[in-house]
Amino acid sequence: MNSAFLNFESQPGRLIVNVKGSWVFDEVLALENATASVLPETGQLVAFQCAGLEEIDIAGAWVLYDRTEQLAVLGIKSEFTGFKAAHFKFLQNIIDAAAIRDYEEPPEYPVRPKRMRKAVENIGSHSAAVIEDLGEVARSVLEGARSPSLFMVGETIKQVYQTGVQAIPVVMVITFLIGIVTVHQAAGQLEKFGATVLVVDLVSISITREMGVLLAAIMVAGRSGSAFAAALGVMKLNEEVDAMRVMGLNPYQMLVVPRILGLMIALPILTIFADIAGIAGGALIAVGTMGISSLQFVERVAYGTDLTDFYVGLSKAPVFALLIASVGTLRGMQVKSSAEELGLKTTMAVVQSIFMIIVADALFAILFTRMGI
Amino acid sequence: METIISVKDLVNRFGKQVVHDGLCLDIRRDEILGVVGGSGSGKSVLMRSILGLQRPTSGTITVLGQKIEYHKPGPSRCWGVLFQAGALLSGLTVQENVELPIALYSDMPLETRHELASLKLLMTGLSLSVADKYPSELSGGMRKRVSLARALALEPKILFLDEPTAGLDPIAATEFDELITYLHDNLDLTIMMITHDVDSLFGICNRIAVLVDGGVVVGTQDEVLDSDHPWIRSYFGVPRALRARQAKRRPAYE
Repeated sequence: MNSAFLNFESQPGRLIVNVKGSWVFDEVLALENATASVLPETGQLVAFQCAGLEEIDIAGAWVLYDRTEQLAVLGIKSEFTGFKAAHFKFLQNIIDAAAIRDYEEPPEYPVRPKRMRKAVENIGSHSAAVIEDLGEVARSVLEGARSPSLFMVGETIKQVYQTGVQAIPVVMVITFLIGIVTVHQAAGQLEKFGATVLVVDLVSISITREMGVLLAAIMVAGRSGSAFAAALGVMKLNEEVDAMRVMGLNPYQMLVVPRILGLMIALPILTIFADIAGIAGGALIAVGTMGISSLQFVERVAYGTDLTDFYVGLSKAPVFALLIASVGTLRGMQVKSSAEELGLKTTMAVVQSIFMIIVADALFAILFTRMGI
Repeated sequence: METIISVKDLVNRFGKQVVHDGLCLDIRRDEILGVVGGSGSGKSVLMRSILGLQRPTSGTITVLGQKIEYHKPGPSRCWGVLFQAGALLSGLTVQENVELPIALYSDMPLETRHELASLKLLMTGLSLSVADKYPSELSGGMRKRVSLARALALEPKILFLDEPTAGLDPIAATEFDELITYLHDNLDLTIMMITHDVDSLFGICNRIAVLVDGGVVVGTQDEVLDSDHPWIRSYFGVPRALRARQAKRRPAYE
């Protein structure tokens, strides 16, 4: 079958194939179809005449070479005439060189046991790594406390600024909105009982005890937990962490501890701002649309909300901060090789810290109930 | 002599710092052009400008008759680039890295794609046992070879090499030089190579372009050596350059 690339001329004992046109990368699909139609009869010699060839590159040469190899397996010999390009010899050299290096198939294990074993091994090694990391952080904190370096103090202040001060606007805006939403939603229900004024208690208690700190923590987890993981991860990839170690610096002390301490200072501050904004949001709706006077609002807040409620919320902040910062930094330090891994660890840092915040909050709720606060 | 890449009146300015000031350079078909210059002389900026990765302050660049514009698709089918650190995609295996450009620019069946990618790996002197590894599991030299295989995947006419032998031991560097010469002689490639390795500069380059004073001094090895520009004289006057000069020389491509 003749085509744009091949012309056939069958002679007794010989199949003459005229190769023509452009045998290049873009035509590989067509070339494969064309060469597949080189079907000599048994005992025929295939003579490729390449004088009409306009252009050939490695991909094109490969298709032709591949076909002759297939024919050779069937016991059919091929010969070439009029070849201008040196590509074929080049290919032959490569293939010959490759044959010298043996390619060993990796031994195949049964899949399931291997996976199981790997999963168990992973759990073990991950837990060990986490315990080791935590131990090193604890040791670094103690060492740092014994001989605090100026660098650490400066770095901690920087972290307080970046994770705390810079987050104040966004945290205040979301808690303000949540304050509005809470009052709005509760008002309709409480009106049925004629207890509209109780929305004030509801918003002030829920914001100070739960919502303020929780929203601030989740916001910070998304904002700073990811930043910690990404920053430390890139430092690991750039060998900055290794550079610190060879200089005799403890990277945990230089990088991890300031972030943890910084966030433990920053999150309580943020919580106070969140509480203020949340109650302000509630006040806006209560005073603005529900006919509660501002004096009444302040009175209800003072009467209904204890300082204990405020402290309950505030006391959770350092714990949440510790969780966010340690998960973020440790995930960052686990990055070893690739950009892909960096993304994965950053995601893990955020998801796990938010998860742990919610779990810790639930535990706190049980604890405070038992304590009767 | 056919000109493949033509750089005309290229100016690159970063704030007050002038890197290129009316630089003109022609790269001819089938030659290996070595680009040298001091730190900050704009070797990488020149290459990035040619590749359309950098917006020049002014000037025109044409590659294979096509005008290069910043971040617009250039003749990407016709060129391959070996970045300094390899720039392999870390989430893909070696095989997938080499197959990626082939998959992007053709509709060949999986099997052919696979075979062609393997062939390119073999061409760069790698064994197929690395095919399923990830870039992070390879040594620096192997990563460069994989990157070269990827650069060659689409049968390019022009190859850009950014310090191909930097960070390699002398044996690996010599092997890499031989590989580039071998590929150049067999594949009708035009090569632009940024290098500080005087051995590869004299060993494989037909012409040398020295970036000095915002411009370029370009010529055959002898012409550049005869230059009386003070920086060029001191660059080629250091002992290691003198030793490399005495070793094998390669003539300009006629």
